[in-house]
Amino acid sequence: MNIKTTTGKTLKILLALLFSVSIAGVAYAEDRQADPIQQDKLEAGKKVYFKRCVWCHGVEGGGDGPSHDRLFTKPRNFIQGTFKIRWTNSGELPRDQDLINTVTHGLTGSAMPAWGDFLKDDEIEAVVQFVKSLVQDRKFDDEDETIEDVVSELGSNPWKAEGPYYHGIPQEAIDEGKKIMVANKCFECHGGEGAGDGNPTMKDDWGFPIVAASWKECWNFRGARRNHFDPFNVARTISTGLNGTPMPNFRDKISIEDRWKLAAFVNSLCPRKKIDRLTNKPIPDFLISAKHTDGEISSKISDPMWQAPDHDPKIIDRTEEQENNPRKNYIALAGQITRGNRNFDPKSDNLWVSSRWNEKQGLFYLVEYDNRFLSKDPEYPEGVAIQWPAKLQDLFGAEKPYFIFGDSKKPVDIWKANMMPGDDYKDTNAPKEDGYQLTTTVQELTGNGFDAVVEKEGGQVKVVDSIFHQGRVKVMFQRALTTEGEMDVQIPSEQFIPVAFMQWAGWDKEKDEHQAISTWYYTILEPPVDTRHMLTMSFIMGGVFVGLQGWLVWMTKRTRKMYADGKVIQDERPF
Amino acid sequence: MNKSFLSLILAVAGWAVFHNGLFPIFTPEVAGWLQNRYVYYLLFCFYLIFVNVGMRLKPPMALRALYVWLLGYYFYDSILTPHIPWTLFITYMMLWTIGTFLYISQDPTTFREFRAPIVKTIVGEYKLARIVVFTLLPLLVGFATWNTLYPSFAEPVELRTVHPAPPSTTKVHGKTYKLEEIGNPFRTDEQDNYKDSFPFIDKTEYMKNVTEGGTVFFENCHYCHGDQLNGLGMFSHAFNPTPANFIDPGTIAMLQESFLFWRVSKGGPGLPNESTPWSSAMPPWEEHLTTDEIWKVILFEYWYTGWHPRTFDTEGSTAE
Repeated sequence: MNIKTTTGKTLKILLALLFSVSIAGVAYAEDRQADPIQQDKLEAGKKVYFKRCVWCHGVEGGGDGPSHDRLFTKPRNFIQGTFKIRWTNSGELPRDQDLINTVTHGLTGSAMPAWGDFLKDDEIEAVVQFVKSLVQDRKFDDEDETIEDVVSELGSNPWKAEGPYYHGIPQEAIDEGKKIMVANKCFECHGGEGAGDGNPTMKDDWGFPIVAASWKECWNFRGARRNHFDPFNVARTISTGLNGTPMPNFRDKISIEDRWKLAAFVNSLCPRKKIDRLTNKPIPDFLISAKHTDGEISSKISDPMWQAPDHDPKIIDRTEEQENNPRKNYIALAGQITRGNRNFDPKSDNLWVSSRWNEKQGLFYLVEYDNRFLSKDPEYPEGVAIQWPAKLQDLFGAEKPYFIFGDSKKPVDIWKANMMPGDDYKDTNAPKEDGYQLTTTVQELTGNGFDAVVEKEGGQVKVVDSIFHQGRVKVMFQRALTTEGEMDVQIPSEQFIPVAFMQWAGWDKEKDEHQAISTWYYTILEPPVDTRHMLTMSFIMGGVFVGLQGWLVWMTKRTRKMYADGKVIQDERPF
Repeated sequence: MNKSFLSLILAVAGWAVFHNGLFPIFTPEVAGWLQNRYVYYLLFCFYLIFVNVGMRLKPPMALRALYVWLLGYYFYDSILTPHIPWTLFITYMMLWTIGTFLYISQDPTTFREFRAPIVKTIVGEYKLARIVVFTLLPLLVGFATWNTLYPSFAEPVELRTVHPAPPSTTKVHGKTYKLEEIGNPFRTDEQDNYKDSFPFIDKTEYMKNVTEGGTVFFENCHYCHGDQLNGLGMFSHAFNPTPANFIDPGTIAMLQESFLFWRVSKGGPGLPNESTPWSSAMPPWEEHLTTDEIWKVILFEYWYTGWHPRTFDTEGSTAE
């Protein structure tokens, strides 16, 4: 048995070697001239470019349009001919088809939208030719510019997993993918669990700061091509690298088979949520249900009662022990660009929130978000806040305070956690399995508008636990349902309560109104589920129905007897 | 009895073949004169009639009534497209049920024939049927009770007016404007003359203003309203209501420029209550932009989308 498997393995290795040699041969044969510029399309392309593209990419394609200095992923500077998402080898020019795909599907996670539903196909083809003509440092027509298709050889995923969520990739492949990730040191940039928290010092070819992709947000992968959960996107990027960035290709280091496994692992970290086809982001969970908990609610984030995957439970079933835990709700964040020091490039675009409550301990809110690095500057702590209408009882109908800091007539109650890591944390540290405990202080604020935010005395809100684990900040808030404070929100059960969130990335020098915000969501304190009452009622209703059936039988039999006895005459003939 | 069993088998099997085999063929992406779902439905009805009449199966009244009722259900649930809302579906099915009942009770004989198997089940002549029905129904009632009692919550629906009535005047940067009287001061020429002009390069006065408006737009507005002005900017996913889509014929295409001027200047906080000012993320742009910049952005939005602003009918009012 043992001997058999080893020979099988050697055979496999030999075959794989042969196969890769033959493929390499084929690939070399396919080395070809870059796609030349199609001159006849330039004029049409220029028209499209100057109406649609010039605003970000600039008049000469230098990536210096009016919007450029407020964008975090800068618009592409075409002049050097450096393009990220391609099927060609590292450093090479893209194929026409790559550029067409980029324009058609956009670059998710950046400001580049998908133009496929907006422009006609011939307009896209034309504008791509015009963009190629903006490249100055290299020439698409140059004889030395050869390109090699390094992606076709990948084929499609070996497990025949299908979209949109690509279920059914075996766990062994994912586990092996993790080993490949560690062996190739992907964590040095992407972090221990892929939150992109590995390296804070990276720059792109133009000297702009750049961070590694977070594998937990595959909808923000630039090369997602609007098919966010497809492991192909990852396998492609591993094969081609991203020109202009520190991301190299791993063609020589990782075999095709292993690239797929690595892709499967990377892909498995991305929460399966329903993606909005228009915005290319997960659809927010607008109702946060706080689960009633009979016994003691644990104030430890690591407690089993708080564990739940980010996945939508409707898409991926939860394990039995987690099935009754509150689900993680996806909250979308945007930059605050209304007042004061505006935030055009927030560092987090979402939060995950789950909640439990009971009469004795009050309301628990576990807020988590991916944040690549932590600030150690006491002036700029990492911050996250929950915002409530302070005077819920005064609101009429759907009325709410203004969604950022309230307004003069309708105040808001803000529970803000300021977090600071200990001395053991450095943003260049290697991934740490158990994470870092955070020192957290709570501020309770009353907001009556941007200019009227004051701190409350003698607050009741507690942060009972907070941790930074592999690029994710987790904070647990707790407060009694009712308090004495005049400006404290009084939390009723079984009622929809507006709630909003705010977040400050201290490492990016965010504070006060320079922040990320959400719009109003709703939370509801679910009433305890009285299963005994429900069971009794069900039995009573069933029993009543049995009685009804008995009565029906009796009635029917009686009528039959009356017919038989001739007491009643049955209608024999039609009219 | 055997014959009616055969009828039931043929009906179920026929439906399975029709629904899985023929239905996809009859529902191509572009429906034809013959190749469409309604023709398919008629064919299925003919099949059912042919099988029962042609083979002289004479199914009992109860089974016939079941066929009729199910045909209606199948039509409203799967054939009729687009699918009607469930409230309407229930209304239609109630009418259909009444229709079926009329068919049953057209004369006392058919009605009795329909009743016969039910009565036989109740009194126990069909023993097995009685046991099955009389145990299943109470269980079903129990389960239904459990499901109704189990608390579940969905987010509340909130309605809002997308384009509220504008105020008659608005005060921007210390100056009061009568919305009915103002127009865009930069709309100096027919917009269509410039639809193929290049911003930044074309040095005409009009294109200069469009360029400046576009610059303001791409510095401030595209985060929400999007690079395509379709309301799908980078931040749009975070907001509810979603940012306005200017490509849509229901927004700037049907509004006057003065309305836009008011909305841009005052933003979400300037909305009346029926438009939920508390959840609108639209900033009051008068705090960041000059009056001229606001008018230029509006000029740009019409140039980019190709829409023409609505105008007040000045001729009609002067003729009075």
